[in-house]
Amino acid sequence: MGSDEMTVRTLPSGKLKWTWSSVFETGWGARVYPYLMVMPALVVVLGVVVYPVFSGIASAFYDVTLKTLNTGGVIFVGLRNFERVFADPVFLQASTNTLVWVVLNVVAQLVLGLALALLLHRAMPGIGFFRSGILVPWVVPSVVAVLTWRWMYDPSVGIANELLIRLGIIDDYHPWLGDTATSLYAVTVESIWKGTPFVMLLLLAALQLVPRSIIEAASMDGASGWRKLWYVILPQIRVSFAIAAVLTFILTVNNFNAIWLMTEGGPLNSSEILFTLAYKYGFKRFDLGMASAVATMLFVGLVIATTVYLKLIQAREGD
Amino acid sequence: MNVHASFRKSAAAAIAALGFGLSPAMADNIVFWINSPLAAGPDAPIHEEIKAFEAETGHTVEIQPVAHMEMERNLFVALSSGAGPDVMALDIAWVAGLADAGLLADITEKAAPLAGEFQAGPFASGRFNQKQYALPLYTNNVALFVNDRMLAEAGIDKAPTNWQEFQEAAVAMTDKEKGTYGLTFGGGRMGAFQIYSFIWQNDGEIIDENGEVRVGDPEAAGAVDFLGKLYTESKAMPEAVLTAGSWDEVNAPFVQERAGMLVSGDWALGALEKGNPNLDFSVHPLPAGKKAATVIGGYDLAINAATSVPDASWELVRWLTGPRGIELMRKYDRLSAAAAATTPEAIAALPEELQPFMAQADAGTPRPVVASWSQIHNEIIASAWDAVLRGKSAQDAMTEAATAIKGLVGQ
Repeated sequence: MGSDEMTVRTLPSGKLKWTWSSVFETGWGARVYPYLMVMPALVVVLGVVVYPVFSGIASAFYDVTLKTLNTGGVIFVGLRNFERVFADPVFLQASTNTLVWVVLNVVAQLVLGLALALLLHRAMPGIGFFRSGILVPWVVPSVVAVLTWRWMYDPSVGIANELLIRLGIIDDYHPWLGDTATSLYAVTVESIWKGTPFVMLLLLAALQLVPRSIIEAASMDGASGWRKLWYVILPQIRVSFAIAAVLTFILTVNNFNAIWLMTEGGPLNSSEILFTLAYKYGFKRFDLGMASAVATMLFVGLVIATTVYLKLIQAREGD
Repeated sequence: MNVHASFRKSAAAAIAALGFGLSPAMADNIVFWINSPLAAGPDAPIHEEIKAFEAETGHTVEIQPVAHMEMERNLFVALSSGAGPDVMALDIAWVAGLADAGLLADITEKAAPLAGEFQAGPFASGRFNQKQYALPLYTNNVALFVNDRMLAEAGIDKAPTNWQEFQEAAVAMTDKEKGTYGLTFGGGRMGAFQIYSFIWQNDGEIIDENGEVRVGDPEAAGAVDFLGKLYTESKAMPEAVLTAGSWDEVNAPFVQERAGMLVSGDWALGALEKGNPNLDFSVHPLPAGKKAATVIGGYDLAINAATSVPDASWELVRWLTGPRGIELMRKYDRLSAAAAATTPEAIAALPEELQPFMAQADAGTPRPVVASWSQIHNEIIASAWDAVLRGKSAQDAMTEAATAIKGLVGQ
């Protein structure tokens, strides 16, 4: 359709013919037109993103349980669900575990991801094979990865124990997932193994954009490997590094599969994080009010992280 | 009635008809959720039985298999949103919670005359607050599985019949050098399910018939202490007890002939045969303590409180739990909950490996029928058992469990 068809047509008789499309050509119609175009997308976003989020947050302030849902007893209870969550000793343990879980994951994945990216950012025969191979943990479905690690950690026949004994690190088989002192760390190892390739991919892409001339200039000035990394390479990839950090943070907080499939937060809540706790409140106790209270707290934390993420994107665009 | 109102009603009816795919001739289509092992594959006996039901009644039945581990959550989500099946198979432990939430149809009047048809324990499992919400589809209990070769090699000539023999056999079959253990057991909620029988055998209670919480009593704690020490002191359980959170994981050491005994139900028979066809084992009634007792399990059939086809749903429930149910469950190697299935003749007609289960049916004890049972079992008693396995005093762990349960049930 040509643009002239969107306007008021002039008939052979010389009279003007009004068309629907002409409404949006001038005046208020022209101002409304863009909003009409985005309306369908807006409705979809409101329906599938905004409404569920606010509905979930609202549930945190109501007494929503299996019983009240079906007997019409859903009433506004203010902050009572939050009070009940704070009174649950498991919440404190889950919060501490979440902190440990996030810090260990983010730090380890960034350090290992950067190391792998630097290792694979060089020209050598078969580099494509290694770059692809290192992505395998990231590509493997979560369930498959977790079940594999569960068997590796098996206290009687697991390869992890056998390997550590042969290396002389431990003397006897150890129930890594069954010991309250090691369960969270055992799951963290699996999570780091699975998440590191993603960080590596982000940082490798960033490294490939660093002008070679800058690194060569630093070498000519006599900079050592560490100094080149610290003063030349890292500043060049700082935005990608920050983005990787924020994304790893968000993905780790949301990493329900690893913990649920390996330990269900046990034993004795030793690997419980806030996400698994919210799930237990919701689908084991069927107390959706308490589940929503925990989810709301997680949501606020993630909104802050996402805001940081968006700011970083803007900063990169500004560079 | 104005035109708009009339139009709205017509439109609503049309949408409802389109949405649910209903027409007057299809009004008796019954959606039936069943635990997936009973509908595994097109040759599963339930399909033949449903065909017979359809031919007899003219109703149609849509069978939807749901995994046991997913069933409770899926029922909660579906029924709470006003959807879900018309008829559902329920683990007997879930009846109280769903009934308390008003999600199950009250069938007290229809079921009352049928009480004599069923074994008392399984029938009671469908009752909550003096109302009947479900009828038993099949029952089970836990017995003792013994690896006959390992027992003989340990110098013991018969399966244990009491706690002392049980402990001696467990210790005798444990050999750290060979990597063998006397008993495989579950951690967390799996272990909790296994210890109930021993609590009752020791004259203990979880929640008594008056609603009083009794898990902190010395009898209950004594049973937990007895079992816990088989791991913490005798080392007669493998380390896997700390993490075994499914029957597959509990069974594994027994299947691999690394553990000589297993406390489980008839559902283990198929898994053991599949896991190790050459396994030389026998099944025996649980060793008795001060008295014999075994925890009753099994599945009930219940009707959605919001079903649009209550009469047809009741017909289906009666069909599957009636006289034909005995034969249907025999095809699955499951135990019928019918009273007629406990006669000596009926027991003798069962496959040999099922006979010990039915022989101890009289000692079957139901778990407390309280609305918050899932939380009591999955969180409180499971945690207490986990703590005992990690060295906590059984009396302390069970006293704390009692306090937590009292808080939950408002005592």
